[in-house]
Amino acid sequence: MHDKQRTAINRRNFLRAFSGASTVAVATAAATFTPSEALAYDPGEEETGPRYQETDHVKAFYRVNGYETLDK
Amino acid sequence: MARMKFLCDADRCIECNACVTACKNEHDVPWGINRRRVVTINDGKPGERSVSMACMHCTDAPCAAVCPVDCFYTTTDAVVLHSKDLCIGCGYCFYACPFGAPQYPRTGNFGSRGKMDKCTFCAGGPEADSTEVEYAKYGANRLAEGKLPLCAEMCSTKSLLAGDGEIIAAIYKERVTQRGYGSGAWGWQTAYQEPITV
Repeated sequence: MHDKQRTAINRRNFLRAFSGASTVAVATAAATFTPSEALAYDPGEEETGPRYQETDHVKAFYRVNGYETLDK
Repeated sequence: MARMKFLCDADRCIECNACVTACKNEHDVPWGINRRRVVTINDGKPGERSVSMACMHCTDAPCAAVCPVDCFYTTTDAVVLHSKDLCIGCGYCFYACPFGAPQYPRTGNFGSRGKMDKCTFCAGGPEADSTEVEYAKYGANRLAEGKLPLCAEMCSTKSLLAGDGEIIAAIYKERVTQRGYGSGAWGWQTAYQEPITV
């Protein structure tokens, strides 16, 4: 019983010391960390630029999908 | 500037799944991932309807809104693409998407399901156009070749339309004008008890 109490006290002391040390570490990290603004991924103008071209191939697709009356 | 859109004419879809097969073949999509699928409502009953579904390339994409690493971007053609290099496979986009478009190579919890994969409107990804790297990650880049998504191009009943939103909307409008609106609108006969002719 006596040994168990001593073990419990030791563990509490350890946790107190650990929590104190971690608080200091967090405070130090917060002081040195500068938050940056979140930005969406941007692969650059070349990759986000237009790819669609109204080629003859595409025009043929539109033509065969529409009724003959569709004025294109 | 043209805005790329899909439009499935549900009156014409016969659930042949050719669009699904074409997509898988064109992009070499692995087992377990379907960038496109055909959903059938009231299957086997009179009045059943099928509709081909994939990423709809939303204007205000909810997948992009919830992505914790901001890996989504929208091209000038209004195609929603993403970077697999940045994706962490969290699965948030899957929960946010109303169409169930995002797919993952493995089943699992947060981060263990692999990089997200979805329809690219046959427009590849952030890598250089029509390169092996781009093909391996995102599939073919047909848009850069002056073509349209293969699923729509090979639809035998001309149900699935893809391309410039204004043009395909005009095609669909013309179809509705020709055949009558009653057959094309779900719930019309239930609401008004009789078909309407235009």
